[in-house]
Amino acid sequence: MTVRRLEADDGFRAKRRKTDHDKAGVDPKDNPYLAHIYPEQNGISRKQPFAKFVKHRTTAALAKEVEDGKTNPLTGQPFSSTYYSILKTRRDLPVHAQRDEFLRLYQKSQILVFVGETGSGKTTQIPQFVLYDDLPQTQTERKMVACTQPRRVAAMSVAQRVAAEMDVTLGEEVGYSIRFEDMTGPKTILKYLTDGMLLREAMNDHDLNRYSTIILDEAHERTLATDVLMVMLKSLVQRRLDLKIIIMSATLDAQKFQTYFNEAPLLAVPGRTHSVEIFYTPEPEQDYVEAAIRTVLQIHATEPEGDVLVFLTGEEEIEDAVRKISLEADEMVREVDAGPMKVYPLYGSLPPHMQQRIFEPAPPPRTPGGRPGRKCIVSTNIAETSLTIDGIVYVVDPGFSKQKVYHPRIRVESLLVSPISKASAQQRAGRAGRTRPGKCFRLYTEGAFRKELVDQTYPEILRSNLSSTVLELKKLGIDDLVHLDLMEPPAPETLMRALEELNYLACLDDDGNLTTLGRLASEFPLDPALAVMLISSPEFYCSNEMLSIISLLSVPQIFVRPHSQRKRADEMKNLFAHPDGDHLTLLNVYHAFKGPEAQADPKKWCHDHFLSLRALQSADNVRQQLLRIMEREELVLISTPFEDKKYYENIRRALVAGFFMQVAKKDQGKSMYTTVKDNQKVLLHPSTVLGYDAEWLLYNEFVLTTKHYIRTVTSIKPEWLLEIAPNYYDPETFKDDVRSSLLRVAEKRARKEKMRAEPVKKR
Amino acid sequence: MSRQPSSAIRAGEKKADGAEEDDYMSMTISEPQGKETFTQRKLRKQRMAEARAKVPSKAERAAEDAARREAALSSSILDPSNKGYQMMAKLGFKTGDALGKRASTGNGMATKPETAATAYNCIQPHREPLSLVIKEDRGGIGLDNEKKRKFRDEAGEAAKRTKAEEVEYRDRMRLEREERRTEAHVHAAQKITEGLDSSAEEQIDTTNTAGDPDLGAKLDTGVAASRTRSNIKRTAKINVLYRGLVREREQNEQLLLTRHALETSSPSSFFPNPKLPTYDDSILDHEDEQALGLGQNNLAPVEQEPDEDDLELDEFNALDPHERLEKLVMYLREEHRYCFWCKYQYETEEMDGCPGVTEEEHD
Repeated sequence: MTVRRLEADDGFRAKRRKTDHDKAGVDPKDNPYLAHIYPEQNGISRKQPFAKFVKHRTTAALAKEVEDGKTNPLTGQPFSSTYYSILKTRRDLPVHAQRDEFLRLYQKSQILVFVGETGSGKTTQIPQFVLYDDLPQTQTERKMVACTQPRRVAAMSVAQRVAAEMDVTLGEEVGYSIRFEDMTGPKTILKYLTDGMLLREAMNDHDLNRYSTIILDEAHERTLATDVLMVMLKSLVQRRLDLKIIIMSATLDAQKFQTYFNEAPLLAVPGRTHSVEIFYTPEPEQDYVEAAIRTVLQIHATEPEGDVLVFLTGEEEIEDAVRKISLEADEMVREVDAGPMKVYPLYGSLPPHMQQRIFEPAPPPRTPGGRPGRKCIVSTNIAETSLTIDGIVYVVDPGFSKQKVYHPRIRVESLLVSPISKASAQQRAGRAGRTRPGKCFRLYTEGAFRKELVDQTYPEILRSNLSSTVLELKKLGIDDLVHLDLMEPPAPETLMRALEELNYLACLDDDGNLTTLGRLASEFPLDPALAVMLISSPEFYCSNEMLSIISLLSVPQIFVRPHSQRKRADEMKNLFAHPDGDHLTLLNVYHAFKGPEAQADPKKWCHDHFLSLRALQSADNVRQQLLRIMEREELVLISTPFEDKKYYENIRRALVAGFFMQVAKKDQGKSMYTTVKDNQKVLLHPSTVLGYDAEWLLYNEFVLTTKHYIRTVTSIKPEWLLEIAPNYYDPETFKDDVRSSLLRVAEKRARKEKMRAEPVKKR
Repeated sequence: MSRQPSSAIRAGEKKADGAEEDDYMSMTISEPQGKETFTQRKLRKQRMAEARAKVPSKAERAAEDAARREAALSSSILDPSNKGYQMMAKLGFKTGDALGKRASTGNGMATKPETAATAYNCIQPHREPLSLVIKEDRGGIGLDNEKKRKFRDEAGEAAKRTKAEEVEYRDRMRLEREERRTEAHVHAAQKITEGLDSSAEEQIDTTNTAGDPDLGAKLDTGVAASRTRSNIKRTAKINVLYRGLVREREQNEQLLLTRHALETSSPSSFFPNPKLPTYDDSILDHEDEQALGLGQNNLAPVEQEPDEDDLELDEFNALDPHERLEKLVMYLREEHRYCFWCKYQYETEEMDGCPGVTEEEHD
């Protein structure tokens, strides 16, 4: 599809060029028919700002001239006035001073490692520097510059910022592409995208031919996709000699990248940072949340003007701390005439307009000349690298963050509160020195910092279930997964589990080759289990419903449960409750949401029913995207008539087709469940909706805390397991209670089969 | 309950009887074969039902969950029968290997990247999955270890303390025993010294009185006289070496006398004259009077200044018992040619035959 678009675009450009020439009068050099005489110009008009530019030979001075010019070289339109004011601030960024140095190294080498501390401007500026030197639009085959981001939000916001800097419309010359949202067009030459998206593109275009330069930003975060991309790009540069790679990292452990990429040259740009004084506690803290709150209040009482940034681990903890700090701060205002303090939460699932509030200035003094106000931001580790907040002078660091963990032995992938790394701690401290010298209060001892924190956060690849990644790698044509040249290869058991799971899902055959189903599943930007579930749903006559359920499972929590109105929220949720469990409850919500009553005023309806409109809308969007893929892959969209009593049963069966590896059986006479195969005792998560004591459940998620929970469950029948996933449910491979139950069910089934078969024989 | 051991013994006996070669030293006691009675079965069933129906407390459940989890987490799942393992094995994986680029079997690639690869691979390869640590409270970084450290320290200290106490106790007991023994020696030595001193004085007396013409008349009262003399001897005149002994004895005597006097003669409001009317027996001589406690002279203080501070004695008593003993032993040797350890008074000044001045030399 994209290819077709590009062709159309080329034709369009050719036409426009011709008319330009007509207006400009006759100059043999501009005559496209004489272009072969002046090969270096490659068909570009001299009057165009890029006329003097020769690919990979440009200088900062040359670029400056164009940037200072009157017309936008990308659109041909005159620059707007805001452009010039932004340009001024851009010139102040630390990276700008080293533009020439950057260009020299970039032009010289195929791979470049670039280190720029947060605030150096690397994410916004480097891609533009590249654009002005690489001139991807001038190539015979119009190419693009890609810049990857680990987070969707970052990709979106950076693209928006850069579009403004370049004075173009977002989605035209500058665009972004994230899972379930493509904001690019035929003219796009600079594309911000998540690393996961680039990997998806590589699956269908192994050589990434549409890109002339690929920038891996925030490589120090070592996301799963970045690690896999690095493996891929490392071998790709040998095939595509015209491709340039820039690895950008915010931390100074960049030597690791340099070594990995065969001693690629390195350029470091210092961030614009001030000194940060670090304080440790003399004793370990009993309660880090309490300690953080206390510290903030102390800062507010004793330290001079300046905003405070507190790092905590999760939404609940943050909201709790915000409430407590606000209350105490108000009391301080009343009792000791302290300055006013505004407290803002910041975490990923917070709606964007709430996230924006952190950029509001600190409150003014209550009375003219009174004590200055300050703002306090209580954040997850989002504020550690990806967000830049000016004005922060004090950082409170309890030393924890929520990190994803995966353990192949009990097959649990969960977010756990864990100690951060030394690198993270340094990064956090650095946030205090953005505007002037700051202070960082670490809520642990110096000894603990040295002894208990690991140097670097473990890369995601060591903390994740790799089944999606393995499927992607197989699709990328990489077969030798055992000897994959990863920067830090995971434990063998993790790979073994992934291969095993894919084999049970019939995505890989016994030799480890991609099956047709596997190939199809890899087309969906979903977990393999979900993809398989969706692909096999037409067999259960419920692909429409599965599409909805999977979309709802792919977005953040749709149920809103405000702290102050929990009871009411639960009542509202019960309106949608389905006795068979949460998946069907989700479906009920979606159907109600699409109903005429809700669609009349979705905002009000969602608010009244304690539902997140944003989550539902993005689920709708996801559904559209998945629907398109379904249609493209010619998968039938079908529903069982709602009146049919098998309507819900069919959906539950279809769920089994994907989730058969996540099943729990109830313990005899107890409220507990045991996960089959891994034999872990689990409880139903309090949010679970279930109308009766179900004997067998499938679950979406195993939540690991001090208690073990299963969340988002649906009641199923054991005979479906034997029927739909006979390979996995070989009773001999199970233990104790599960085994005897399965054997009983198998016997019963056999008897039925026999009874059904016998009358036929008699006849 | 009482059946069980008897039946077990019986079973054992039977076994021993039945097979002679049975090694009775390693005799196993077989389970009672007897059928359980109805009540027993009922009880057993009831207990089992209770155990099943018992709802475990949150803590118990958490502990059980954690134990299960740890059990599952600590055992490797690498299993050659696993489909995933088989796929990996086809690619040359063996148990114990780590994943990642082949060490140096590069094919066609320049050697430089290969060495570079080993450089970044020198980060410890992961053969085991990262361990799961579940944080259960809001304790700050380092708190757990601090707690553990403190606990360890305390445990160590406690162990040290008990050990130290053990040693100390033994030492203390030994020292006390030795001290008691030395004190006993001191006491004995004091007695001997006193005895020898007094006999020496007597001798002097006798030699002095030998030429006395009215010796015979005084002879019967000799002891009494000497005693009287010693009795009225000034405290300071008594050798400090056994002055304590004398004083103690005198104090005891005084105490006894006082009590006696109290019992026999102290007036009380109820018994204004408790003294029983006694017959005045003229034939009672002095000694009889003394025996009956009638002699008033007995109540006279033996010592003139019993309450007076005696710095010399205090000083002597403050000395270590060993030192006191040593002084006594030396005094006995020098004055009386008597060895405390030989328990013998030698004839000559050289004290031939005595091995030495200390106890050890007499062993």
